[in-house]
Amino acid sequence: MVIEIADVIISGLINGSVYALMAVGLTLIYGVSKAFNFAYGSFYSLGGYIAFLLFGLSFINNYFLVFLLAVPILLVFGYFVEKALVAPLRKRDDWEIKVMMITLGLALFLDNSFQVIFGSRMKSLPPFLEGGFEAGDFYLSHQDVGIFFLSIGGILMFRWFLNNTRTGMSVRAVAQNPAGAQIVGIPKEFVFAATFAISTVMVGMGGILLAQKYFITPMGGWDILVKAWVITAFGGMGSIRGGLYAAFIVGMLEAFVGWYFGMTWTLIVLFAVLLTTLAVRPQGLLGKWG
Amino acid sequence: MDHRRITFLLALIWTIVAVLPLFFGGTNFIMHILIMCLIWSVVASCWDLIMGFAGIFSFGQVAFFVMGAYASAIISAQFGIPPIFAVFIAGGITAAIGILVGLPCLKLKGAYIALVTFAVHMILEPVLKGDIGRAIGTGGTRGLLTIEPMTIFGYTFTTASPVPYFYLMLLVAVICSVIILVVIKSHWGTAFLALKDSQEFSACLGVSAFKYKLMVFALTSFLTGMMGGFYAHYVGMLSTRMLGIDLFVTLMVILVIGGVGKFPGAVIGAFITIAINELLSPLGPYRPITMGAMVVILVLVLPDGIVGLFERLFSKKPHGITH
Repeated sequence: MVIEIADVIISGLINGSVYALMAVGLTLIYGVSKAFNFAYGSFYSLGGYIAFLLFGLSFINNYFLVFLLAVPILLVFGYFVEKALVAPLRKRDDWEIKVMMITLGLALFLDNSFQVIFGSRMKSLPPFLEGGFEAGDFYLSHQDVGIFFLSIGGILMFRWFLNNTRTGMSVRAVAQNPAGAQIVGIPKEFVFAATFAISTVMVGMGGILLAQKYFITPMGGWDILVKAWVITAFGGMGSIRGGLYAAFIVGMLEAFVGWYFGMTWTLIVLFAVLLTTLAVRPQGLLGKWG
Repeated sequence: MDHRRITFLLALIWTIVAVLPLFFGGTNFIMHILIMCLIWSVVASCWDLIMGFAGIFSFGQVAFFVMGAYASAIISAQFGIPPIFAVFIAGGITAAIGILVGLPCLKLKGAYIALVTFAVHMILEPVLKGDIGRAIGTGGTRGLLTIEPMTIFGYTFTTASPVPYFYLMLLVAVICSVIILVVIKSHWGTAFLALKDSQEFSACLGVSAFKYKLMVFALTSFLTGMMGGFYAHYVGMLSTRMLGIDLFVTLMVILVIGGVGKFPGAVIGAFITIAINELLSPLGPYRPITMGAMVVILVLVLPDGIVGLFERLFSKKPHGITH
């Protein structure tokens, strides 16, 4: 019993850390550009598939190389998607709904392309680290620990980027006041595209990390999209710290509900929690309106 | 567009559609597609009403449709209520759920509403497949395989001779489009415009956001649920596969082609989209890819849909002035 609960807590913590990485990405786009990306889940699968392809290459045998190659690919991909699809819509009055529509179309396109290219069978990635710690019945794999620290490391790196680099500071400026940022000479269009690219990298990294545990499937991203979205709304859209707390709460909640009631209940419980939060505090845990 | 133009367009569309069975009446396959066009035109118009006119980003229309379909099938099977009444009861149930979903949405804005409504869509599948679903008779993962066909005054509509059902659906679609037209052009529609422009200011003028938004949730989910019922009793079987992203995007393509917030556009869009969808079916797995690419390209190239394109071509107004 105690061991089981410890297992559940660990799985909650690990999933929570990866969710945090992905939710921070989603909250970042929304906070900076007010655009909602429906293809976010597909970018998650894209990350997994890119890693899968990279492992197919003969000279790649460890995750360090995979990350080294996958991050620039995702960065460029995200940048071009924003420039080609989202940016042209921005000057319209009803651009919010148009962005939702176009990203939904993109999601359908990507998901079905995965299905055609890779087939609908599940793909798996080799584990990141072998072995584990053992103490009696208790077992903690090195892979889980690695995933946890990589996700946290990703978030910390992102925080460092926001606080200490010029691009990061201009991202924060645009999030606070787009017009003001433009007046002082910050290239708004570039910041929008850069944020989109960064969030693509974050969700793609999440895809690579979680694919080792849960496989990659063409339609697997939808679940992730909804979870990242719930976390973002729960923590408050645009609030990175709120998203972080919410991700761990949701990860834990999911682990406990899944363990106690069965996996089919997790989405229902998540939804109930979300509705309650939004009814009591519509802006989410730490969010602000606007 | 003023109401005379919309009425004229609608009359034109429905007249053309009404004579189609003269040419295709013998081919069941085409009649079946036309019936689907009629059903989707109503569902898409409802979506347009709530999203394009009322400005509420509801992404739960497909969920309401499926709820209506299941509700109608279950009611007619378990309580022995004739399908023609079951359809309206199903509409009522869906409307009640619609109000329940709408209530939290009233306090929210933009993407949050999209989240709550889309979450309804996402959890509907596990609910229908799971223990709760089986308890109310959804048939779990297997779905419902024998649904009573529609019967009116002793006449039973069957899929073997779809022409009568086509005219029944045409009648329903005409009535629904008139209801939607009346809503858009009455003080409701004006209230929506005002609420979309500035909620605070219209509240000062005495326009109740609460009342109008809840009403539009109730109306659209009623009509959508009812169409779900008509669909279920026509097709005769239901499964949760309808909740896949495919149907959702098809509806979205309808709106994109027709134009969001350009009312008869959704009706025109339904016929074009379903026709394209059928024409693309030989492509097999490449069909959804093409549909996805089409959405992306159309949103960029034709942002106001076909109706918007015609408006731009025939409008004498200078560019840059809207409403």
